[in-house]
Amino acid sequence: MDNLKQTALDYTLGVLPKEDSLLFEALLEHDDEAKTSLVTAQEDCANLSLIAEPASLGNEVRSRVMEYTKPRINLDPILESREIETLRENFSAFSHRYQGGGGSVDLNDLGSIALRDDIRRNYESLIELFPLVAGDSHAARGDFTLLHKFLRKQSSYSETIERNLSHDLIGENPASRSVLRSALATMPSLSFFSDRLSEDDPTLSDTRRLFYLCRDQLKIMRASFRDIDPARLEDDEKLRLHGAGLLQTKWWGAEHAYFSSSGKVRCGNFFDGPVTERCVEFAEYDANVYCLANLLSPRSSDGEFHLELLKDTVPGCTLALATAKMDLTNHQNLEAILSGSSKMKKGDSLDQHLWTLIEDSMTRGHQCSNLGELRERRAYGCTRIENYTYLWFAWPAIANAQDGADASTPKPLQ
Amino acid sequence: MPRIENEIWTRIKEGDSAAFAELYDGFASAMFSLSLQILNDRWEAEEVIQDVFSYLWRKPDSYSPSKGKFSSWLLVITRNRSIDRYRSRKRRLDRGQSDEVLNQKEDFSQTDGAEEATLNDERKQLRVAFRLLPPDQRQVLELSYFKGFNHKEISEKLGLSLGTVKSRIRLGVEKLRNSLSTLRL
Repeated sequence: MDNLKQTALDYTLGVLPKEDSLLFEALLEHDDEAKTSLVTAQEDCANLSLIAEPASLGNEVRSRVMEYTKPRINLDPILESREIETLRENFSAFSHRYQGGGGSVDLNDLGSIALRDDIRRNYESLIELFPLVAGDSHAARGDFTLLHKFLRKQSSYSETIERNLSHDLIGENPASRSVLRSALATMPSLSFFSDRLSEDDPTLSDTRRLFYLCRDQLKIMRASFRDIDPARLEDDEKLRLHGAGLLQTKWWGAEHAYFSSSGKVRCGNFFDGPVTERCVEFAEYDANVYCLANLLSPRSSDGEFHLELLKDTVPGCTLALATAKMDLTNHQNLEAILSGSSKMKKGDSLDQHLWTLIEDSMTRGHQCSNLGELRERRAYGCTRIENYTYLWFAWPAIANAQDGADASTPKPLQ
Repeated sequence: MPRIENEIWTRIKEGDSAAFAELYDGFASAMFSLSLQILNDRWEAEEVIQDVFSYLWRKPDSYSPSKGKFSSWLLVITRNRSIDRYRSRKRRLDRGQSDEVLNQKEDFSQTDGAEEATLNDERKQLRVAFRLLPPDQRQVLELSYFKGFNHKEISEKLGLSLGTVKSRIRLGVEKLRNSLSTLRL
């Protein structure tokens, strides 16, 4: 009986060797003593758990968790549409997947020294900001003194964006695209939340959001400018699966902002499993998702938009799908932007860059430089069904990958 | 209490969101405290809580009353998921890979001051009982439960035999259980 108790305890702690775990699980099927030992071991571990220093969770976490119980949006209209059917018919897997890094340039490729310096300064500022909003920071414990001091001593990040965009950026040029990706994917949201946090009533949820944005922005910048931080880039280039869970946790129930407009994100159809194989690939994928969100969020008619990540609906690829309720005028404006039509309004050119960045990435992900062909195959696109506007892009899936987590602890009892 | 817990679980299985909220209100704080203790990272601990609740909502059948108390099961899952993350982070650092958060940790030693007053009696007594354990048992339990070390790693770190490590863990949890014989969740 003592051996059984020890085995049950080791099993619960996750330290029992795999073969012994399997034997113990087999024993649990029919042996009452084994079951009793397991129940006791679990209760012992629960006792230990309660020794932890009590800490309080904010209401915002509760609201994110309760999102799980809300009905999922019905995606049948888009998934059964001619658009996605065309994608299904035309998508074929690659023998060699694109693993990111293809959109990278040297800072020296930028003609302007002032722009180069600006980008480097921005990167260094974000490196400094990052630990101030991390999960072990003072701010994460509700003490915003250091964060305030940092944010208030410098100008708003929105000025950085303005300065970056004030240079003569030619959309077709890879170096210009790296600048645009760095300035438009994550930065508008980052500047929104950092401005709000520098005010008098900062919140934990804004701090958390800024943490994710800062982390993502740094990775996007490293994937855009290969010489901005070679040591960290080396890490980003290592093979390491990145799961959809990384996207889910940061987008689920979050507030998203694009410059001054903000909206609520709703999710519901995220698959379990890996999306990309390297950090540099994830940074590119992530930038594409931010671009979708930036295009959709300000035009939503109810301030909400849905972000969904689907696998197997189109065999061989993952499908990032963003949708929002949108009035016809906004939808037509969006279509004009995406097609580069003369009906674009003044100020829409930034949004057009967002779409161009996605297109640029599609040529790499789908290993096809012909955008017309990719559009025909519906590798990415925009459509309207009833009152909803849908934007999507397909990304080649990782073959035979079962799990997105870089973890090895056995998970007994699950 | 187990009867109430099982009732909550049954309602969650039936898709009752009010039961899910009830469960969150009753247990999320203890789960979060545990995860935060292991990870020392508020955002990661929040992610663990989100993961566990999402998993439970999607797959409520992963628990069954034959597995013991619902609350104990939730805490064990929370602990194991937190340890997974902790180990994954540690592996990355061991491989010399950069991590902006871990490489630039702020130096803080102050504790969250607001919590002591909110401790309920059960948890208070558990913590007292834990503090009263012999230091060698407490140290082994901390390494095993909150740091995710396996027996071999603990024996190497502390220069003990495997048998001693196992017996200290077992004795420690038994003493805690005995000291709490009148206290249950």
